[in-house]
Amino acid sequence: MEKGLSVRRIVIAGVLGAIAILLGVSRLGYIPVPTPAGNATIMHVPAIIGGIIEGPIVGLIIGLIFGVSSFLDATVPLFKDPLVSIFPRLFIGVIAFFVYFGFKRFNEYVAIGAAGFVGSMTNTILVLGMAVIRGYFTLSVALGVAIANGIPEAIVALIVTLAIVTSWKKIGGSIKKKSKISEDI
Amino acid sequence: MTSRFELTRNITIGQYIPTGSVIHQFEASLKLLSFAILVVGIAICSSYTGNLILLAFSIALFGIARIPIHYGISGIKPALPFMIILSLMQLLFYGQAAQGETTLFQFGFILITTSSVQLVIVSAMRFIEIILVSSVLTLSTSTTEMTHGLEHLLKPLKYIKFPVYEFSLIITIAIRFVPTFAMEMEKLMKAQASRGAEFGTGKWWQIVRKTKDTFPLIIPLFSSAMERAEDLILAMESRCYTPGLKRTSYRQYKIALRDFLLLIITTLFSIFIVFYKFTY
Repeated sequence: MEKGLSVRRIVIAGVLGAIAILLGVSRLGYIPVPTPAGNATIMHVPAIIGGIIEGPIVGLIIGLIFGVSSFLDATVPLFKDPLVSIFPRLFIGVIAFFVYFGFKRFNEYVAIGAAGFVGSMTNTILVLGMAVIRGYFTLSVALGVAIANGIPEAIVALIVTLAIVTSWKKIGGSIKKKSKISEDI
Repeated sequence: MTSRFELTRNITIGQYIPTGSVIHQFEASLKLLSFAILVVGIAICSSYTGNLILLAFSIALFGIARIPIHYGISGIKPALPFMIILSLMQLLFYGQAAQGETTLFQFGFILITTSSVQLVIVSAMRFIEIILVSSVLTLSTSTTEMTHGLEHLLKPLKYIKFPVYEFSLIITIAIRFVPTFAMEMEKLMKAQASRGAEFGTGKWWQIVRKTKDTFPLIIPLFSSAMERAEDLILAMESRCYTPGLKRTSYRQYKIALRDFLLLIITTLFSIFIVFYKFTY
């Protein structure tokens, strides 16, 4: 895997970052559930996908965009705290990438699904962990949220990630890369 | 009913109110930095007096920027139900964690202490302050200025080989594509609805169904986004965009003395708010 930011990585990070922002501001990324956190979310999925298809740096940047937009857009005091809304989100794409990378040699589909699931759990665990440290939740409330929100969220993330990445990578077929220059520079 | 399909109307990204006030004229990078310092100050400050001062200050900012206050209030309004629920939860369950304080009320597992009351009030005030301050920032800075400011701020990171220009290009692309994708999403919703998909008809307790409802939107949205990304990659590469080269910009932004003054004053103010021992 090449290092640094190629044109491809810049564009993919930007475009997926745009989706992360859009899911937040249009409220489409929220699935209302009756827990203290208020909502389950699929807004972290772009970060996971970015991590899987273009590596940890892109995952980190999309996570950052997602974090900052959720911070600016927050409707609950919990997410108006940058330590809760931005910092934990940086790791979603990075961890998703490493999970994908680790499982890839066994089975591509399993790897993608696992990356989706673990990436989503990373979001849940780190955000709630930070919320406990910062004193917004007690440990027992956080655990309740983790089970009521985190698990369904992770399953949804798994399904969406798997659907998008497999259709994108066209596993077993040709990859949809249009620009032929990418490989030369 | 039709409003459900109008996504673009609700998107306020890049909303900018050009009143030409002092706050508008500050150079964006130092304005961003001052904002960040102020937010850190707000996040740490946990006394009543400190938060009252901060609240008055953030309301005063609207006056100085000559932005109507209802722009800030409209940001708080949708948050109210969440705030009330969260405050109640904190009030009912946080008391256990901070024992040894003066107990105000005790019934079964419910324990309300002075520190849990303080936590609730202060976190609500903090939240309002941050909403107000960040809406002043975004309403008084255009997106172009914002990306320039970010680029300026991150410049020192170049010495540790952080790709500053590329990073601000990513941010620009992201902000640029939000309205495009919103339009795309609208089209997708209409297309799926005309094929018989039902959006928003599920009741709030039908969580599984509500989740399933989003799949026929999210998945096509992602794949059309990736397609657009491919077009953009092709366009940029065929114009020989090379990451990491030095570029010049069309508009020059200069940092004046008053921008430094803004930074110094905000820093002093935040230090005062955080470290001064208020009695309450």
